[in-house]
Amino acid sequence: MKHILSFDDVTYIYHTRRGETVAAEHLSFSLDEGEFAAVIGPSGCGKTTLLSLAAGLLTPSEGKVESGGASFGYMLQKDELFPWRTVEKNLYLPLEIKKMKGDAPRKRVRALAEKYGLGGFLQSYPAQLSGGMRQRAALIRTLAADPDVLLLDEPFSALDYQTRLNVTEDVSHIIRSEGKTALLITHDISEAISLADRVLVLTRRPARIRSTHSLGFSEKNPLKRREMSGFSAWFELLWKELNA
Amino acid sequence: MKHQSIPYSREHERYLRKCRKRAVLVWTCRIGLLVLLLGAWELVAALGWVDPFITSSPSRIAATIAGLYADGTLFYHVGVTLWETLAGFFLAVFLGTFTALALWWSDSLRKVLEPYIVVLNALPKIALGPLIIIWCGTGSEAIVFMTVLVGLIVAILHMLSAFIATDENKVLLLRSMGANKVQILTKLVIPSALPAFISMLKVNVGMAWIGSIMGEYIVSKAGLGYLIVYGGQVFKLDLVMSATCILCLLAALMYFLVVLLEKLLVRNGRT
Repeated sequence: MKHILSFDDVTYIYHTRRGETVAAEHLSFSLDEGEFAAVIGPSGCGKTTLLSLAAGLLTPSEGKVESGGASFGYMLQKDELFPWRTVEKNLYLPLEIKKMKGDAPRKRVRALAEKYGLGGFLQSYPAQLSGGMRQRAALIRTLAADPDVLLLDEPFSALDYQTRLNVTEDVSHIIRSEGKTALLITHDISEAISLADRVLVLTRRPARIRSTHSLGFSEKNPLKRREMSGFSAWFELLWKELNA
Repeated sequence: MKHQSIPYSREHERYLRKCRKRAVLVWTCRIGLLVLLLGAWELVAALGWVDPFITSSPSRIAATIAGLYADGTLFYHVGVTLWETLAGFFLAVFLGTFTALALWWSDSLRKVLEPYIVVLNALPKIALGPLIIIWCGTGSEAIVFMTVLVGLIVAILHMLSAFIATDENKVLLLRSMGANKVQILTKLVIPSALPAFISMLKVNVGMAWIGSIMGEYIVSKAGLGYLIVYGGQVFKLDLVMSATCILCLLAALMYFLVVLLEKLLVRNGRT
């Protein structure tokens, strides 16, 4: 497997008038193609900084982020659908930004929406959709420009518990069946275990990588994973590491 | 999502009837209040409890307006003021919005100009009256200029705060898609500022009438403001009241048009 994204000894410092904050320090890790990795860490440890660095929105103060020309799709905590656009127009947004003209990419997006249960809602406005469907729409928008890597910044944390389990299953299913590489940031240990192939644990700020675990589940369905015997053992281990 | 195929329950029908009843009641009271006020005004003037020379009366106002219409000057004066107001309104709105865009675009420009805008906002524009007469003469141009001055800074400040309040996360989302600044502006900043634009229009309807009437007070040969000043000077209070009533009507009409525009532009999903 080849690396699709790698951090090589990356340090990032935030500058404000009142001083400087080291958000991340000597981060090194890499992501394999087709892999689903999760990053967990205490709140406020600089997880989001890590995603912004990966997406190239921030330039590291030291070290190097290499992505070999891979394209990224960013999914945020809230769906951030534009309320003045229909669902369909929202899904086309990345195509408009990247100036992907022609009917082929739009057809592909419509097919994705159709396949994942949004077909009947293309002409609706986001306000007419439930929280779970909005988040699904946000994922399809993220997939619209066919990115190589998905960056997921706590995409479930704004949802209520029941919706959250359902959407987690949806998103997992969609990402697995589209064969995408994904990097998930979360503070929810069980979410990380139920979704990822590999979990990276960050320390308190400044974020460093405390440990990396390959989970080794063959089951990909997040709800079924939660019932498996290995689940609670992983939970205990990661819980201890987070609080250490 | 509508449920037209499902018949309403009886309780819901009762609820709808209650809503309709309430609306009818509100409108009856509104019109009733107007009739009551006009009737009382007419009555106290007719009974001689107040001097109609000072207070005028609805019938005298109606007669005055009919007189203005008969000698053909009514629409002339209305037209002059309306033109000045609308010209000033549109100029202030366009200049204000574009200036706000420029200030949003350049952080440095905004920082540099901030104190100037704050001072200009606080300055009572009527203080510039003599200067405006010297610069623009005594024609309609001076009044339009005054109207623009009154509305411009308000428009700039209103729109700038809306542009700056654009959701940071949505900006981040667009940047993650590789959007440049023009795309962020056209796809996000402008459409999300549409409700603020409408509310700015509403505020500026009032500002434009303040500007044009104030301008006509300072210098004018025609217009509703001119009629009010002239009527006051020669103690023809019927004329003052008539012009004021017409002004009320026109301002209300203009505001109503903006509300109509709002209904056309701001629809779906925005609550």
